[in-house]
Parts: sequence; structure tokens; C-alpha cells
Amino acid sequence: MKVQVNADMCEGHAKCEKAAPEVFKVGDDDVSVVLVDEVAPELVEKVERAIRMCPRQAISWAKV
Amino acid sequence: MSAPTLKLSDINLNDPELFEREGAHDVLRLLRREAPVHWNPGGEVANGFWSITKYDDIRFVSRNPELFISSKGIAGPGIRPEALQSLDSGAQPQNAGANISIIGMDPPRHVKMRRLVNKGFTPRAVNAMEPEIRRITNEILDKIDGRDELDFVLEVASQLPLAVICGMMGLEQKDWALMFDLTNKVLGSGDPEYQTEVPEEERGTSAAARATAMLGVGTMMEYFRNVLEDRRRNPREDDLPTILLESEIDGEKLSEGDLLAFCFLLILAGNETTRNGISGGLRVLCEHPDQKAKLLKDMSLMESAVEEILRWVSPLHHMARTATADTEIRGQQIKAGDRVLMWYPSANRDEEVFEDPYTFDITRTPNEHLAFGIGEHFCLGAGFARRELKVMFEELFRRFPNIELAGKPERLRSNFINGTKHLPVRLNSGR
Repeated sequence: MKVQVNADMCEGHAKCEKAAPEVFKVGDDDVSVVLVDEVAPELVEKVERAIRMCPRQAISWAKV
Repeated sequence: MSAPTLKLSDINLNDPELFEREGAHDVLRLLRREAPVHWNPGGEVANGFWSITKYDDIRFVSRNPELFISSKGIAGPGIRPEALQSLDSGAQPQNAGANISIIGMDPPRHVKMRRLVNKGFTPRAVNAMEPEIRRITNEILDKIDGRDELDFVLEVASQLPLAVICGMMGLEQKDWALMFDLTNKVLGSGDPEYQTEVPEEERGTSAAARATAMLGVGTMMEYFRNVLEDRRRNPREDDLPTILLESEIDGEKLSEGDLLAFCFLLILAGNETTRNGISGGLRVLCEHPDQKAKLLKDMSLMESAVEEILRWVSPLHHMARTATADTEIRGQQIKAGDRVLMWYPSANRDEEVFEDPYTFDITRTPNEHLAFGIGEHFCLGAGFARRELKVMFEELFRRFPNIELAGKPERLRSNFINGTKHLPVRLNSGR
């Protein structure tokens, strides 16, 4: 599964980085980037948590 | 505690007096239990509206900003068209031509407009500002040092957020008191205390509220017209009006109306809610001496304490949206055009989300409250609000650990802003 961050919405709150540091990193421009191409099955739960916690609701699973 | 006599048929959340006397939590608890999506009938002046009281439903509405739009009004139920004319008689149309600000804007324009300034509000920007926030805080506390009793709202809680946002806007210090006064007139228009320009015998009416709000809006627009005129001639580095003046959206500069509305929103939102977070926070800590003692003993709990204060206080009672299509929430049919009010204090006491929601616990985890909303319109200033609360309580308790309440808080008559107008405190410095 692929996950994506809407860069227009992201304001660098870094909740995603806290929830799933293996997957998200907030860059110097205060926008979170996805570090991995595919989310490993064992990280899905953490990513789900990041999706839920994002204040701007900027994270979503990419539609295939 | 729910009053035994409270009945669904009696409920009216458009009664600002209910919030003034702090009766709303009983009503909201009943609604969550018995009618979580509840039609609140209108009255002679107000439209009817849906009350959304469950955490998950408020998330749902917030996450669908195209289905539930902001551009038809974000506060209150809205006024019935036929009532509008009579209310406006006597009020000056000073704000004619004013555009809406981002808080009342919908996608896709909302995000474009918000992005003009949002870099100034990121965690990085807040971190950079922290030393300044601490300096201002200590300046405010220097002024009360040596005193015994004082009004915490007027002398402390209001002063920090006002100084921070006025500083970011580049406003001269001599004008800050005016901004405070105008904010009260606009956001506290329904409270007789701020209806100073209305004859005494007419205060407390809907017409008085509208006239007060119009006067506040008109005066503030005039003020910012002058600020913008000045910055056009003398641009400044890093002040928000200059940034806005130099900004473009899709190759076009902002209109005068957009600029005014933006300045207006930044000032209002930047000082009223944080003021109430600070005063509400001090109050709840003083009313829970065990929690205050725990915090004083271990100040590393501050960030978590601030989150619990935000959950507990919920500085905004609600935000309103309007449905653009027929839809359904929890089996209730919501029609296109219906107004929907999201009651944040209710989400933040939702028994299905928070364990012992009526217990104030500064170590609560998790604590994913919705005090700042969520999604498209998540509070732009949340980072500053959190930091201002944190720094204020760090410095306040370092310098005045024995501070206590010294009288009854006076609450704002509003079902929108969870405001405290006056909070008498005693510093007990010598103890």
C-alpha cells in the first residue's frame, strides 16, 4: 500500500512523524514527506494512526 | 451532574445565557446520550439548526468541507431573512463591501489563501518566537508583581495573546487596547457589558448585539484600511499586512476586501480564544488543587497539562457549517441548506472517546481533543495558542505559585466563545 501527504494541506505539525517515524519525515520547509515507496504490512497500523491524528487530515492511502 | 428536570423538548442551544451560567455541559451530555444529532428549532430571529455532539460526527463534518461549507456563516444559527431588516435599522452599513476571510471560505480558494500566511504559524515559526513570548510574558507579570488582588483576565490573560498577534501584525502598542476593545465588541457583541454604545435600556437585545458587532466591525475595518495604506507606502519586513499586500493568488493581488477580512480575522482569532484558554486554564487548575500541586511539583507535565486544559475549556463552543446536499448523520436526514453546529465541548467530553471525561487529569493520554477543530479549517494559530499557554503557566507558576481564585468568575454571554470576562485572583506572593 502507498500513502501520500497533501503538501498543500500539510503545515508541519509532525504528528505523523511521531506516529510512524519509519514512514514520515517533516522537512525543513515544514511539509511532511513520505519516506517509503510501499508501506510494509507491519507499519500499516501506525500509518492509520498518523492518518487519524493529522490535524489537517492531509494524509491518505493512495488510490491504485 | 444532569439536572433531573432537563428534557429534550426544552433544549435550546441558541440561548447564550445557558453558556453564561455554565449549564451547557448538562444539555450536551443529554444530547450525546439521547439525541446526538438534534434539530434545535429556530425562533423569531434565529434559524433552526442541527446540533452535532458526538466526537466522530464532528470529525466527519470537519473532514467534508465541500459537503459542509463555511461560506454561509461559521457562528451561530444564522438570522432569519425576514428578521434581518428590523435588526439592521439603526446600524451603520460601515462594513459594506467587506469580503469574507479564510475562516468563512471553502475549498479550493481557502487553502490557497491560507498558504499565503501559514508559514508564519508552523511549529518552526512558533519555536523561533518562543523567547519573545517569554519576554512579553515576564513584562506582563512584572506589572502585577507586588500586587495582591487583581483581574487576571484584564491584566494577564488578555495581554499576552494581544501582544503576540499585534506584534505579528506590526501594530503600534498604543493601539493594542483599541484592538482588545473592538475584539470584545465583535465577538462579545451579545454581552451587555460590551454594548456600550447602545442606550442602557436596549442592552441585551438581538438588535443591540447586532449594532454592537456592526460598530466593532466598522471601526476595525477603518483601522485596517489605514494600516494597509501605510504599509503600501512603507512596506515592512515580516509583518503580516505587508506579506498579504505583496501576495498573489493565481497571479492576482488580493482585493482590498480580502486584505481587510484577513487582517480582521488574524486580530480576532489571535487574541480572544487564547485569552480564554489562559483564564480558563488558571481557573480549572485552581479549582483542582491536587492537579495544580502535581504540576508545580513536576513542570515537565506542562505540555500534557496544556492539552488537558484545552480539552476541558474548549475555548470555542461551536463552529457552524451549512450542508450543500441532502445527507445523513446517525440516521438523521440533513437537507441541503440546513445549518449544522459542531459543539466542541461536547466532543471533548464524549464518553466513547475519553475515559472519565469529567475528570480533569493533566497526565491524560491519549488526549486527541478537538479544541482546535480538525481538517481543512484546523486552527491556524493552534501552535501559538499552545505555546502561549505553556509559557504563561511556566512563568506564572514560577513567580506566583500560590496564586488562587479570589471571587466568582464573570462569564461571557455567548454560545460561540467560551469566554471569561473577569477572573479575580489573589497572588499570595508573601506566603
